[in-house]
Amino acid sequence: MKITACLAIAVALLGAALPPVLGAQGKPLTVTGVRGVTFGAVFPGVPLAISRTDPANSGQLDIKGPNRSNVLLTFILPLTMTGPAGAVMPLSFGSSDAGYSQSQAIGSQIGFDPKQPFTGALSNNGRASVFLGVTANPTASQRAGAYTATITMTVTVLP
Amino acid sequence: MRNSKLSLAVLVLAVIGVSAAQAQTNNASITATATVQTPINVIGAQALAFGNVFPGVNKSVAATDLTNAGRFDVAGQASAPVTLSFTLPATLSFGANTMPIDSYSGMRADNSAQTVGVVAFTPGASNSATLSAAGSMFVWVGARVTPATNQAQGVYTANVTMTVVY
Repeated sequence: MKITACLAIAVALLGAALPPVLGAQGKPLTVTGVRGVTFGAVFPGVPLAISRTDPANSGQLDIKGPNRSNVLLTFILPLTMTGPAGAVMPLSFGSSDAGYSQSQAIGSQIGFDPKQPFTGALSNNGRASVFLGVTANPTASQRAGAYTATITMTVTVLP
Repeated sequence: MRNSKLSLAVLVLAVIGVSAAQAQTNNASITATATVQTPINVIGAQALAFGNVFPGVNKSVAATDLTNAGRFDVAGQASAPVTLSFTLPATLSFGANTMPIDSYSGMRADNSAQTVGVVAFTPGASNSATLSAAGSMFVWVGARVTPATNQAQGVYTANVTMTVVY
């Protein structure tokens, strides 16, 4: 009976310490959308590129997770933005339109292609940021109005 | 009985261990937003008209001539900078006959009366301008024809083209 009780307590403690979503360092993985990509005013027929180093208009997502762990980043990138009456405006992501920053500083990034999976390492305190740029390609007859699209980043902690 | 309890405990620990070893995955989204401005629309509102021209007598139409200068009306995004580019013929044609046209001049203004925001310019491949606060602009083109002394009688025409881009 004593052994059973001890094991039950041990199991309970381990269960509390190691819930399924925790990693080896005990930190849960969280991903947060900090800032959207903002084009502002776009003129028909005039492409507009937002750089990943643009502190005001680039997109930013923050990652928190196990200290120093490797993470795999993948993106769902929209091909178009949707506007009034279903009008669409093409988007294009370049081969260096994403930037990975272990220090979470926009001035210290490693560029990568958001169309391809990317592996990075979280910092000693389990953090990193991803910055995104993209180009809008309005046609000469692009319908006026507000356009939006959603960019999703999935992060997986690698074993 | 003791063994079975231990086995159960080990099994539970093993399950927990497997869960902890599973890869963690999470995601988040951001939006991309843009506001597309009004597309540009250009209308050829009035032809450049020289009227009667006599052989050997040059004739000019000034860009300030509201009746005879050619006029384009532009509509687009309020206060937006634009670039005007012109394709200007070197001759007017009447069948196989031609008559030289040159000395092009331009005026642009915020209104069709040519009284607000008036700017004179020389039409060319690239002229910078800004649409009015109402998103409009009016552009006039003048020129000169130089008929030869033996210019064949007839109605001579050519196309003047203006392209406007943001």
